[in-house]
Amino acid sequence: MSRGPSFGKRRARMLRAASSRLYATRALPRPPSPEFLELLSKYESTTPRPLNLSQLLSFGRPVTPDSVLASVSYVLYELPRRLATRVRFLETLPFIVGTNPYVAQTTKAFQESFQTLAEHPPVRNLQENEEFARMLSDIVQRHANDIPTMAKGFQESSRYMPPEEINAFLDGAIRNRISVRLIAEQHIALTHALHNPPKDGQAMGVVDTKCSPRQMIDMCGSFVTDLCYATLGNAPTIVLDGQVDATFAYIPVHLEYILTELLKNSFRATVEQHDPQGTGLSLPDVLITLSAPPSRAPRSKLNESSAPSIPGEHYLSMRIRDQGGGVSKAHMDRIFSYAFTTANSDTARKNRRIWEQEDDDDDEPLLGVVADQSLRTGMGTIAGLGYGLPMSSLYARYFGGSLEFKSLEGWGSDVFVKLRCLDEAGDSSI
Amino acid sequence: MTYSTVPRALQFLRSNPLEVTLRRHSIRQYTPSNFYSNRELEQYASREAKRLTLRQLVFFGRSLNADKILKSANYVRTELPVRISHRLRDLQALPYVVVTQEGVDKVYELYWLAFEKFRQYPEITTLAENQKFCEFLQKLLDIHATVIPNLSLGLSLSSKFLSPDRLDSFMRRMLVSRISRRVLAEHHVALTRSFTSQQGQESDEPHVGIIYTGLNVKHSVERCTSLLRSRPPEVEHMGKIDSWPEVITDGHLDAQFPYIREHLEYIVFELLKNAMHATILKHYGKGPLPAIRVTVVAGENDIGLRISDQGGGLFSGGNTIENSNDLCSFSHVRNASRLEDQRIVALRTATEEGIRATVEEQVTRWKNPSSQLEKGKPLTATIEVSASLPRIGIGLPMSKIFATYFGGSLELVSLDGWGTDVYLRLPKLGTNLEDIEL
Repeated sequence: MSRGPSFGKRRARMLRAASSRLYATRALPRPPSPEFLELLSKYESTTPRPLNLSQLLSFGRPVTPDSVLASVSYVLYELPRRLATRVRFLETLPFIVGTNPYVAQTTKAFQESFQTLAEHPPVRNLQENEEFARMLSDIVQRHANDIPTMAKGFQESSRYMPPEEINAFLDGAIRNRISVRLIAEQHIALTHALHNPPKDGQAMGVVDTKCSPRQMIDMCGSFVTDLCYATLGNAPTIVLDGQVDATFAYIPVHLEYILTELLKNSFRATVEQHDPQGTGLSLPDVLITLSAPPSRAPRSKLNESSAPSIPGEHYLSMRIRDQGGGVSKAHMDRIFSYAFTTANSDTARKNRRIWEQEDDDDDEPLLGVVADQSLRTGMGTIAGLGYGLPMSSLYARYFGGSLEFKSLEGWGSDVFVKLRCLDEAGDSSI
Repeated sequence: MTYSTVPRALQFLRSNPLEVTLRRHSIRQYTPSNFYSNRELEQYASREAKRLTLRQLVFFGRSLNADKILKSANYVRTELPVRISHRLRDLQALPYVVVTQEGVDKVYELYWLAFEKFRQYPEITTLAENQKFCEFLQKLLDIHATVIPNLSLGLSLSSKFLSPDRLDSFMRRMLVSRISRRVLAEHHVALTRSFTSQQGQESDEPHVGIIYTGLNVKHSVERCTSLLRSRPPEVEHMGKIDSWPEVITDGHLDAQFPYIREHLEYIVFELLKNAMHATILKHYGKGPLPAIRVTVVAGENDIGLRISDQGGGLFSGGNTIENSNDLCSFSHVRNASRLEDQRIVALRTATEEGIRATVEEQVTRWKNPSSQLEKGKPLTATIEVSASLPRIGIGLPMSKIFATYFGGSLELVSLDGWGTDVYLRLPKLGTNLEDIEL
């Protein structure tokens, strides 16, 4: 059968379009201007003013016009410096990685944010601060999807960088991001608190002194349940036990992040293990046990000292137990690495049917759908890229907590999370 | 000394009572000649241990005949003195002040005694001689029952002279070697027994010597549970209680694997004992005792066991350990409870009876508390004659050594304020594990 007469023309058009695309991606990104470079090196060389948590919170205790102005001057000093570090790190990635469109997009966003903050005039009064806080809020919003974007970029570039380097880079990037957001959002919260002053005049800002894990679990649980039903056709139930009404001082969005990622892992594992076709078979529950920080109980005759061994360090402990089949010994070493995911499995390809999507061969369908969904919700979280565990671990450890993972291969896994109570963590450095 | 004729050998054994040999190598009568007569020991110590793989042991024991029995006997006879000599050299390398310490000196003497006895034992050529040899082995095993508490006591007391790492690694080498020697000896005795008695399997589970080829994990857990719960309900400090907590098992309930039953059950027994103790201490008098949950998992190459209790976690007892590994250390630097008076007293008491680290021994002890009186030994004033055994504190370190012996693992994770999860992993013996040697 011969091809039609217009085939040749169509083919030529296709080739031209394709080659122009190729040409476009081969063009080098435009280098930054010399003024920008000067600005960057100026901020890079300023001495860091490390902050610890109690200092950061001190701007809100009490929250007054003066303290807010003190806060903004700290923000204008410290944020550009930290962003400059971030820009530098991105620029020192291997060239080929830097040309990846996702990585390049992130670098550009950081360069712009840095410039905006670095060139911002000092804030002298509350009105200017209002403007500034709005702008800061926009910047934070602009960077909401940094991690999924970078993740995508690194996944595509994984053959150009050894895994250890990717891990080290992402560890540093995420840690930097946590601190930048913390400083920015604390200031934004304080600005709002000035309008809605708290009763005792003490604004903890981003810290909620009565953060309730139970409420968080309800919230994150329902989000993950929806996601799980949508992508896998089934979802297990969460059963909560232990000290269910415990509350502690923490940054809610951090807890939200950790819980969401860990629940995603447990849910996905449970469904893949017990109902891989998503037909609605009954699933074993995901069991979460909470344990509140030990209070200074009266001395009993059994224990000479029932206070914890290290004074001033209290933790809220949480155990998430699933029957998702566990992690094999071969994988155990790699689950905390950013470049590894167990979503590259046949089950993921089987799930293609459920979503009826046509993806590129390179992308995992689970990856594509879930990344899209998570990008849409703007939570800045991903599943399927394998970032959940290492990132949750980073968040947990940020204020001196911990995350431990134990697996019963063939049955299920237990994740132990210990989070430091922030009302006594004043010495943690930001 | 060499003995060319068998009757003369027997004569030697009869005429040289243990005490004579003891005196020759007693530290208390340390003379320069002891130093110079170390040659024999060094000759043995220079030989490498001839290790058998577990697979070899199992296959060897499957179709027994008289020849094989004698071969096994002579292997044990020549192999054990070599291994004992290595341990003696290890002991000799410890600081002087440590080996002359109470407890350690006794162990040193015991090992010398065993070394001499084995070294001089003539070749076994008939089944009758093998019978005598088995009795000899049994007797030696009994005498050596005091090694563990003595060593534990002595090293706890010498904690300050040895770095924690050195102490723990020395202890580990001693205990690991002890396990392998005992396994070889007990396996041979068991083989002899099944060969000579021609009985059917003594228990419902098939075994070759001491290796159970299809050990049912759930049954082992249930055995240990019922033994523990049949104890008279009493806990030190608290006196009598109503009942022990329950144990609920889930997971792969049919899991079976080849293993040494005594090892598995010792570990499970100790861990359940700890879990029950913690549960009672935390919850007694505050409502129903929360059950202990055991999950059995059959992996491809391992068996996994998770024991979850609600005993409040590892750090709530007012102890000063920094992490869970410290509980398995013998050094008081890592685990200060090792030097608590109560512990030391309990260890001293235990040295009189000895500890074999088996479940059976503990059960016997609490079923016959009066046996201590019968032997005519004076009891220390602070230990009452009760069925509750004061805690010696070696359950965890011993369990860890048993667990890691064939390449498994034992890990503890604490949910502070709530409870503890213990993760035990034991390899399935005989599956692709050719290089596990005894």
